[in-house]
Amino acid sequence: MKNILKAVRPLLALLSRLSLYLAGIGIVTMTLIVGWQVFARYILNDTPSWSEPLSLVLMSWFILLGAAVGVRESGHLGLDIVRYAMPKPIQRAMDITSMALVSAFGGFMAYYGILLARGTWTATIPVLGWPGGVDFFPLIVGGIMIALFGLERLADIILETEHTPSEADMLEVV
Amino acid sequence: QQVTLRSADIHPDGYPTVEAVKYMGDLVSQQTSGRIKIQVMNNSVLGSEKDTIEQTRFGVIDLNRVNTAPFNNLVKETVVLGLPFLFRSTDHMHQVVDGPIGDEILKAFEAHGLVGLAFYDSGARSFYTTKKPIEKLADLKGMKIRVQQSDLWIAMMQAFGANPTPMPFGEVYSSLETGVVDGAENNWPSYESSRHFEVAKNFSMTEHSLTPEVLVMSKISWDKLKPEDQAILRKAAKESVVKMRQLWQAREKTSEDKVRAGGVKVISVNKQEFADAMKPVYDKFVTDAKMKDLVARIQAVK
Amino acid sequence: MAYTILFGSFTLLMAIGMPIAFCLGIASLATVLYLGLPPIVVFQQLNSGMNVFAMMAIPFFIFAGDLMVRGGIAGRLVRFAAGLVGHLRGGLGQVNIVASTLFGGISGSAVADASAVGGLMIPQMAARGYDRSYAVNVTVNAAIIALMIPPSHNMILYSIAAGGNVSVADLFTAGVVPGILLALALMVTAYVVARRRGYPSEPFPGLANLLVHLVTALPGILLIGIIFGGVRSGIFTATESSCIAVLYAFLVAMLVYRELDWAGFVEAVMGAVRTTAMVLLVIGTAASFAWLMAFLQVQQLMIGAIGAISDNPIIILLVINIILLLLGTFMDMAPMVIISTPVLLPVVKAFGVDPVHFGVVMILNAGIGLNTPPVGTVLFVGCAVGGISIREAMRTIWPFFGASIAVLMLVTYIPALSLWLPSLFR
Ligand code: NA
Ligand code: NA
Repeated sequence: MKNILKAVRPLLALLSRLSLYLAGIGIVTMTLIVGWQVFARYILNDTPSWSEPLSLVLMSWFILLGAAVGVRESGHLGLDIVRYAMPKPIQRAMDITSMALVSAFGGFMAYYGILLARGTWTATIPVLGWPGGVDFFPLIVGGIMIALFGLERLADIILETEHTPSEADMLEVV
Repeated sequence: QQVTLRSADIHPDGYPTVEAVKYMGDLVSQQTSGRIKIQVMNNSVLGSEKDTIEQTRFGVIDLNRVNTAPFNNLVKETVVLGLPFLFRSTDHMHQVVDGPIGDEILKAFEAHGLVGLAFYDSGARSFYTTKKPIEKLADLKGMKIRVQQSDLWIAMMQAFGANPTPMPFGEVYSSLETGVVDGAENNWPSYESSRHFEVAKNFSMTEHSLTPEVLVMSKISWDKLKPEDQAILRKAAKESVVKMRQLWQAREKTSEDKVRAGGVKVISVNKQEFADAMKPVYDKFVTDAKMKDLVARIQAVK
Repeated sequence: MAYTILFGSFTLLMAIGMPIAFCLGIASLATVLYLGLPPIVVFQQLNSGMNVFAMMAIPFFIFAGDLMVRGGIAGRLVRFAAGLVGHLRGGLGQVNIVASTLFGGISGSAVADASAVGGLMIPQMAARGYDRSYAVNVTVNAAIIALMIPPSHNMILYSIAAGGNVSVADLFTAGVVPGILLALALMVTAYVVARRRGYPSEPFPGLANLLVHLVTALPGILLIGIIFGGVRSGIFTATESSCIAVLYAFLVAMLVYRELDWAGFVEAVMGAVRTTAMVLLVIGTAASFAWLMAFLQVQQLMIGAIGAISDNPIIILLVINIILLLLGTFMDMAPMVIISTPVLLPVVKAFGVDPVHFGVVMILNAGIGLNTPPVGTVLFVGCAVGGISIREAMRTIWPFFGASIAVLMLVTYIPALSLWLPSLFR
């Protein structure tokens, strides 16, 4: 078990880095698209109709890739006041439950994402002209990655191996 | 056993579509001795029209009252109903949707997991602008006009010579107020209830579209009902149309009076001039033989 | 029973320390399964909750804030504020508040404000003999001003949650007077506390120096005008203004101050991804949760329950403020605004409260909640920057809470404070 984890860890680390960079490219591209939208409408008096749907597609990818990375990197995102008041074994049980449910939710997200994509495939996304199901691709990919990273964290808690080093403190931003 | 059918609508209480579905619910409940009830969940609480269409197809909710425009990218036949100046008048539109062509289009929903039950009125849509009133076609040139995120509507505005600016409905008030867009287009009741008339005071009676609304049911929920209950629902839906049209006329009148009292300038235009500009839209959207035939048959209806 | 599952599982999952995005999602999923509805709706709503153009303001304003800190814009604003009010009693405390107000005029995030201004001011204050707890208290309370003074992506969120019929331009304008009022109340409090503790003041740098500080800070101050003026004059929408802020901050940092290099830019991008992706996911799962509340008609229940307490708008507003302050203790801002707006707005509207006014009340409440444990993000950031424990910060924070609550009461009961300024633009 420990060896499997050791073997897949670099792979997961690579996947997480890749997602982070893709999400980063996503936000920069979103900035350029929305900036162009303002420029084209105000200066050229010609509003691009593709800018809004396209930047929304990018935002979905940005959110789900970034959130999956968040699952891998963050220690505790939630309310931890109750957790700290508990004895160690209960804390462990809480962490295991929490991480198992997060992975399961990721799995559900991917599964129902596929159903949604299939069910809306015959519709067309206005303006872009893509099949409606494309809207749900980020849900599918993000769901799978949340499940994977969740399982990695779960294995770490169960095996009491080194916690994945968090690269930055995740803050819930306001 | 007892069944409660949940029906979605984006409009507030008292809006003709909302009241019509409630009325239909009363009829159904009477005729089934209370076995089947309809619960209207309006005010967009279950999501946007696009959301609730998906929910209806997946069997999350049972009934849905939506405009035909959001169906354009799913049920191709509905595109025809949105074509500008296709209907000569409200009477013409009623003749079409009440007749065999209407039934044919309702039938087309079944291939997409939906049962089309009835068409409701949505009135005529006209332009309203903040600064410069639209008196002739040339006035629209280069104006930033808010449109729904839809290929048909974007093409229509381009054909009018305007700069189509797709934008969510919720941002329109601010955008009119501050000048992000120069105008928008809608029917009297929406122009009034959205309070857009407070900030865009020139209403030009172009009446360029008479797109009807549609009431659909989830195929999944439909198939759970006995044939006699299905018949009751179909009949009640048709009967609610009569009620809806009365309510609609009254509502249009109240809204028109209200916005006129609010200082809105109503401008009459030469509609033919606007209609003549629409050829590119027909060329782009009425392409195959089936669509051409449908359009021709609609135009032939007296 | 469905209510119990929805709210019960949510509370339980929060208690075991699960990230809130997942608490909301899993509670929704459990309830949908109990009701026998197709679970697909949870994920459909999650997806469409994230597919809102206006939401783009959140990553953009965070990104812009990060660029402003790294690119030297924030630092120059602080220096200008120091010249302006440093000579008052407890000078650096006053500087902190004025800097927060200025920075709040270009940033929409209280966390960005606390980390930017706190990061620059708290070490200086400690070095000049101020208690660290005082420095942290001033920082975290002043950070709330950023939410009130435009731009504010939380006001955009409120407008979305309200169904989109509340003008964001009006909300932006409505926050100005309450924001300045909050700044003044905090300055008075900071003055009184500083006097009692005998904190020093800084020498006045002289008009000439002040002018120099003003000129160097001008590109930052200019952005206040660009955002407010741009939104009010219709050049761009409030959502688009967040993108303009990013582009502007990038250009100033690169071309004018030349303090941003490629590495710093990449760090800012990654920072924006890390800090906002999870929040936006929260908004997605909160949409599923809100869909279920609508499906279960929690709104109607709420109107009935609050209506049963009283039919006096003054009491209703008081009750709602208490509910919001309590919610704010354990909920973060975005989910709180998204979940409670559709429930409470119909209630107050039924009692004749203007939605724009209520938006300001809601944002101020949620803002105060950012400084109340157990979930108090801004307080946590402030404590982390100041290197003190939350317990230490909490011991001396009460006068500042008092000032914030007093402003909240004024804003709640004097609608003109919010509504007068927007009325001038009509
Ligand atoms: Na701000
Ligand atoms: Na709190």
